[in-house]
Amino acid sequence: MTRVSLILWLSLITALTLPSRYVAAQQYPSVDGRQFPLNQMTPPGTAAEWATKLGRTTPDYFQPVRVSLPATGVVTFFEGSPDRAYDLPAPAQASLLVGRMYRLRVSNLPEFPGVDFFPSIELIDRLHPPAGKADDYPIEFELTLEELEWAANGRLVTKVVYLEQPNRVPVTILDAKERIKTIEPSHNVIAEADQLGRPVAIVRMGGRTPDPVRPEPAFFGPGGPIRITQKSVGTAAHTRRASTDNIESNQAGVVSLGPKTMRRVAQR
Amino acid sequence: MKLYFLALGTVVVVCVGCAMDGHQTPQQSSGLGGPNLGGLSHYGGNKGEYHAPPPAMMMRPGPMVDGPGPGVLAMMNGGGPGAGGMPRTFAPTNTQITFKGPDGMHIGWEIPNGYAENQLVAPARYNFMQGATYRLKLSGIPGREGVVLYPTLQVYPSHPNTDAYLSHNAVPMEMSQEDLDQIESNNFVTKVIYLPDAAFQELAIANVETLVSTRLDPGVDPIQEADKRGTIMAVMRVGNMDREMPGQPGGKPLAWGQGGDVDQVAYQVDGDRGDLVPPMPIGPAGNGGGPGIPNAMMMAGSGAPGVPIAGGNMEAWGMPITGTPIGLAGPPHLPLGGPAGLKSHTVRNRTRMDLPKPVDHMLIDVDHQPGLSLPEPVRYIQYSEKHPVYQPGELSNPAWNTPQGQGQYCPPGQGQ
Repeated sequence: MTRVSLILWLSLITALTLPSRYVAAQQYPSVDGRQFPLNQMTPPGTAAEWATKLGRTTPDYFQPVRVSLPATGVVTFFEGSPDRAYDLPAPAQASLLVGRMYRLRVSNLPEFPGVDFFPSIELIDRLHPPAGKADDYPIEFELTLEELEWAANGRLVTKVVYLEQPNRVPVTILDAKERIKTIEPSHNVIAEADQLGRPVAIVRMGGRTPDPVRPEPAFFGPGGPIRITQKSVGTAAHTRRASTDNIESNQAGVVSLGPKTMRRVAQR
Repeated sequence: MKLYFLALGTVVVVCVGCAMDGHQTPQQSSGLGGPNLGGLSHYGGNKGEYHAPPPAMMMRPGPMVDGPGPGVLAMMNGGGPGAGGMPRTFAPTNTQITFKGPDGMHIGWEIPNGYAENQLVAPARYNFMQGATYRLKLSGIPGREGVVLYPTLQVYPSHPNTDAYLSHNAVPMEMSQEDLDQIESNNFVTKVIYLPDAAFQELAIANVETLVSTRLDPGVDPIQEADKRGTIMAVMRVGNMDREMPGQPGGKPLAWGQGGDVDQVAYQVDGDRGDLVPPMPIGPAGNGGGPGIPNAMMMAGSGAPGVPIAGGNMEAWGMPITGTPIGLAGPPHLPLGGPAGLKSHTVRNRTRMDLPKPVDHMLIDVDHQPGLSLPEPVRYIQYSEKHPVYQPGELSNPAWNTPQGQGQYCPPGQGQ
């Protein structure tokens, strides 16, 4: 009888001391047990603001960004106002300030006639190309057909562009396109990108459009100055260039958040 | 012996029950594979892992550094952006609602002195100011001739959790055939559109989820249910009440014509004629933050903490508000017109009272699951760099760049 009482007491103590592992609904599971205060649902602009406070911004340095589309189209960069816009044919390249958030417009897509997309890009870090070759090493990402379809259907697509850490990626040939890894919506896309390298930009895209009747300047965000160089325009007119010296751009990867992740994870 | 197995079973059930709640993934892998990438694999809930607070909590820098308190902060700056913590530079002030269907449905809304008809034709979208309730008018519903509905649309203020979604997406709103059947059957339909939290994101088909009251069990409040699962963005309530019955209070104004017939007066705003009028908010929505929405306020009164002025906005000093301690008027001074002769006036309250004592020390235990844990701050950094020295003509060749594709690291001077 004494042994049974002891077991009952032990079971009671076990029940009280076992660590409870309920996951709070609003919190994302940690990656490698590390603390990641930022995630895809953090208010836009927070990561850029923190990048500014961390000293990653350089006032006189404009980070080139190149946006590619599935085929043709026009990419418009807004300087924080619909009146100050730069229309560039895809792949479009413009130089933006780190620590700012810009609104873009993607239009004239042959796959989506009459549909305009208004993604935003939040630059949180910069690349360090050889001196004088900044325009040759842009942060580049592609809005794929699948992602555009998601956005057209009202989904929010969040892409985190990161610079790969060489010892954390599989060995691949250098002239491959950037790899896109899609993860589950319940996971922290910024943390996943941070696992694989150094996040440099966050791209968000959905189906919202500005009000055509009433002016909506707040829709275009705070923005910031944009620099369009002649070299950028020249390179933008060409297709992607793959060469062995283009190391940084080729090593760029993208982690995006999409609905098909469940299937992809299940296939693994 | 039976008790022994009972106790053993209890231990097993308790252990398993506490370890799994359905949200954990047994093992998550980065999917990269490779022999040297073992460090990338991780488990969903390691003991000792760190959990960041949700964005709404990170809006505030924390207790004791957040100013005088939430009640005062709310009145000083609205209690939202700019109070410290995370910035919300991209927080939208309006929510774009997409009326997805049924196709061809006409959407109007209440404006001063009536309704603006046919402002939109579904599918269409419109930007509604947040933190307000609007009265819509749905007419011309295909297959439902003569049915006119007057739903209310509550557009909730933007929340740190919904900033990213609302600044890039429109909130879908659709009246399904099932909803219309329910309404015509005299049922009240409440549709709540919310952004699921991380734990419920995988269940969402289109990022957002819609809870419909008619699909829930009786007695389940869809708003409370949605609030448990995520952050509410909009609520629509629909019934079959006709709000424009002629001659009724609030209905269409009437005037008698010369022949005794009834004519409608007042100009009718109609979108088909090109009259586009923004909707009029008929009330607040959500919990503060929006225009016209009162935030948490102090008990002293509404608005900014004002200065009480004796004789101005309050009674003069020493002047009782009531004549007696129990709120009844005191006795008159009799005889009227003569000098006051009343020497004593006693009212004894014989009411039996069993009132608890006021609370002098309040204690609230807060327990977040999982708890908030941050890594120890860095105390010491040792930084060392090793710079290889090459002779002229030597080349450091990484392993992945060897001619064979994969190979060992080839130090300078030992190449083929």
